[in-house]
Amino acid sequence: MARAQPDVTAYDLRLASPLALFFAAFFAAPLAALLALSLRGADGRYGLSQYAAFLGDRFSLGVLGGTLWLGLKVTAVCLGLGYPLALVATRAGSLVRGLVILAVLTPLLTSVVIRTFAWIVILGRQGVVNGVLSSLGLTDGPVRLLYAEGGLVAALAQVQMPLMVLPLMTALARIDPSLWDASEALGAGRWRTFLRVTLPLSLPGLIAGSVLTFAAAISGFITQSLIGGGQMLFMPGYIYQQAIALQNWPFAAAMSVIFLVAVLAVILAFNALGRLARGYAQT
Amino acid sequence: MRLDRRRLLTTALSLGAVELFPGLSLAQARPLVFATFTGSWEEAHKAVLVPAFRRETGNAPIVLDPMLSVDQIAKVSAARAAPPIDVMLHDPGPALTATAQDLVEPYPVERSAAFKELIPDAQEATGPAAFFQVVGLTYNPDTVRTPPTSWADLWRPEYKGRVGITTMNSTLGTGFMVEVAKMHGGSEANIDPAFKAMEALKPNLSAVAANPGALATLFQQGQVDISPGNFNAIQILKAKGVPVEFVAPKEGAIAFKTAIQIVRNSPNRELAFKLIEAAISEPVQTRLMQAPYLIVPTNAKVRMSGEIAKVLAKDTDDLRRKFVFQDWKTINAQRPAWIERFNREIRL
Amino acid sequence: MSRSPGALDRLSFEGLVLLLALAALVLLLAPTAIVLVVSFTDGLSLRFPPPGYSLRWYGELMEAWQLHFALGNSLRVAFFATLLAVVLGVLAALAVARSPRLAARLLDSLFLSPLILPALAFGLSSLMYFSLLGWPVSVATLVIGHTIVCVPYVVRNTVAALTQLQPVLLEGSASLGASRLYTLRRITLPLIRPGILSGGFLAFMASFDNIPVSLFLRDAATDMLPIRMWQDLEGRLDVTIAALSGVLIVATIAVIALMERLTGLSKRLV
Repeated sequence: MARAQPDVTAYDLRLASPLALFFAAFFAAPLAALLALSLRGADGRYGLSQYAAFLGDRFSLGVLGGTLWLGLKVTAVCLGLGYPLALVATRAGSLVRGLVILAVLTPLLTSVVIRTFAWIVILGRQGVVNGVLSSLGLTDGPVRLLYAEGGLVAALAQVQMPLMVLPLMTALARIDPSLWDASEALGAGRWRTFLRVTLPLSLPGLIAGSVLTFAAAISGFITQSLIGGGQMLFMPGYIYQQAIALQNWPFAAAMSVIFLVAVLAVILAFNALGRLARGYAQT
Repeated sequence: MRLDRRRLLTTALSLGAVELFPGLSLAQARPLVFATFTGSWEEAHKAVLVPAFRRETGNAPIVLDPMLSVDQIAKVSAARAAPPIDVMLHDPGPALTATAQDLVEPYPVERSAAFKELIPDAQEATGPAAFFQVVGLTYNPDTVRTPPTSWADLWRPEYKGRVGITTMNSTLGTGFMVEVAKMHGGSEANIDPAFKAMEALKPNLSAVAANPGALATLFQQGQVDISPGNFNAIQILKAKGVPVEFVAPKEGAIAFKTAIQIVRNSPNRELAFKLIEAAISEPVQTRLMQAPYLIVPTNAKVRMSGEIAKVLAKDTDDLRRKFVFQDWKTINAQRPAWIERFNREIRL
Repeated sequence: MSRSPGALDRLSFEGLVLLLALAALVLLLAPTAIVLVVSFTDGLSLRFPPPGYSLRWYGELMEAWQLHFALGNSLRVAFFATLLAVVLGVLAALAVARSPRLAARLLDSLFLSPLILPALAFGLSSLMYFSLLGWPVSVATLVIGHTIVCVPYVVRNTVAALTQLQPVLLEGSASLGASRLYTLRRITLPLIRPGILSGGFLAFMASFDNIPVSLFLRDAATDMLPIRMWQDLEGRLDVTIAALSGVLIVATIAVIALMERLTGLSKRLV
């Protein structure tokens, strides 16, 4: 004990071994099994044929691209609406902040199924939106919102918005308010202060929120299937269909691996973009 | 104060643990799992078949897991040694597949009291047919003033954005596509004309439902006004006051029988047998034939009456004469490819 | 000088921010409110506003044995998954939170990674893995799969609580001759308890609401509530689900309020 000042606040790394073993057995091993299975061709031989089948197929690539694109759109909507909300909440008094947090937490903790089914009520042919549109005389017949991509983006954005708002609030709360005052005292307007001070300093939260929102939006199977309907296909539904309905397990495994890699690539891109932007902001 | 709150929480948690604990066991004997179909069938089976089964078995535990036949087969063949389902429900196509893949326990005909009462068609050794289904056109009489008379009516321009269909994963979807193919010079062996016709149907489509039950709910929600539809899928909705009607197209409505089978290696074989006995028994089929279920019986002792006799057929011979029976052997050979193609091509 | 950026600048910025924030708030709250209203419908369809009001669907809820069965399973799995996640996660958090070693940081990332990886791919891989092992799906396999998904919440919240600890406190205790275990038990654990509790709470909710893993690891005998609700909605548009949603929403708000009092949940998340 009497060696060079043991840090009493740090515990032996071995305390992590039960969880590490658990992860090795039930997280890493299944993913390894997935990888192994994905290498099994239709003829039983091992190779990359499943990957070739996916990557050489325009339909499959279209589903993958469509899924990532959907995730980006949802992330953009969440950011566009979530950032102002986080900004208002952070600068407001504790009562307003508490209410906003409750408003964000409640949907976060109510089941995705419940939130999604509200959107059936809102988007249906006789739903809330169509009711408003037709009573305003804006449309001469119901607009198809349910089972259409626009409605799906709105629903997913609502379902995933808390994941964007919470990290943003954390990041914004860390900004010293005196920086704003200083910026204004130097003659910078609100917009300039926002672009040169607030936005760059909140980047970590923005990136974290975007990554979480994106990851949740692209794998939101229930929302995709209930709001998108049987005719819109995204990766989770495609994987489920191949695995459960068609029992094409090796192909489903290959699809999952490709999906995983694509998601990781987008997330790394988010992070790189964030670093780039931060570097730019500091110059 | 803090201590009290803490103690409260601890007590609550440990009480919870005691309450929950009996459930966690690897080798727990599971309830009988009956994979019925979504929608009306689930409701009918829940309301009539399950109570009958419980009476027979002294309240044996049972759960219903509604899903399409193709999904039932997928689940069972993925875990042959320990199947997650005990009793399957199959239309003719999947019934052939299940038998071919050796997923079915032969029905203990010699022990069965009800089996001999069935019409000859229903007496399948792999599992008796429990009912017939009929597929025609369904529509909302409030918004579709003149009842449709032909499959071709779905293509009429006035139904733009109001038509619903299901994917080919269901018998309904596949059967409909085969009829469309026949209308355009195709057949069970040649589905191409149907796919061409679907291109023209796209502007009319409002939704592609995952299964017949889901399709029926689209009427309830006002999302579609007309669709190829199952006679039974709409009956319970209709009884509840949802405006929806069934009509046989002039090309002839499609009919097929639905078999109920014991899954091979089921750990609940005896209970499965009891459930099927109840399903094909005279009292259960009589009750299921009456409103609001209107399920076509296969037990010869049950005389078709009421709405079924009026709208569909007086007896099985009448059914045979009036309805189209498709060649599921031919269909089955190509169906996986069709499903795949449908999922690729029919997107809105 | 103070007016130099112009009132327009201020007005346009503040106005836009407020407008978007309000839109976001409406978007966040409207669906929940609509579900609550629709659950009191006396009609058969999910229409808003409902044709009339009644408690009929709450009555139906009492009879819905399939939902009761699924609810029981979901609670059971969530309870055990949370228990396992808290025990394993807190130990791991203690180990990695203040360790300067690279291995600690790598482990930390590993334990958090289920948050970001598409859970559906993990669900599928678990099913394949368990069938390779010859384990039939059961409550136990569900608990294992859910634990993986729940662990990140526990680790994240516990690590956060640990990093906020004043090392002086622990060093003080140690210098007074207290053993490591004693310091852990009497000082560290009580101080990070709110962090553990809120992590455990989030883990419980994550398991209770989980779909992607349950989708593959459940079967009819281990039916899970979110899946049953989804299937009842898709296959039968069952209005009973609206009533169940009403119950769940109220219960969730009550538990959030309780956790807020116990742990200051909101401060922990923000």
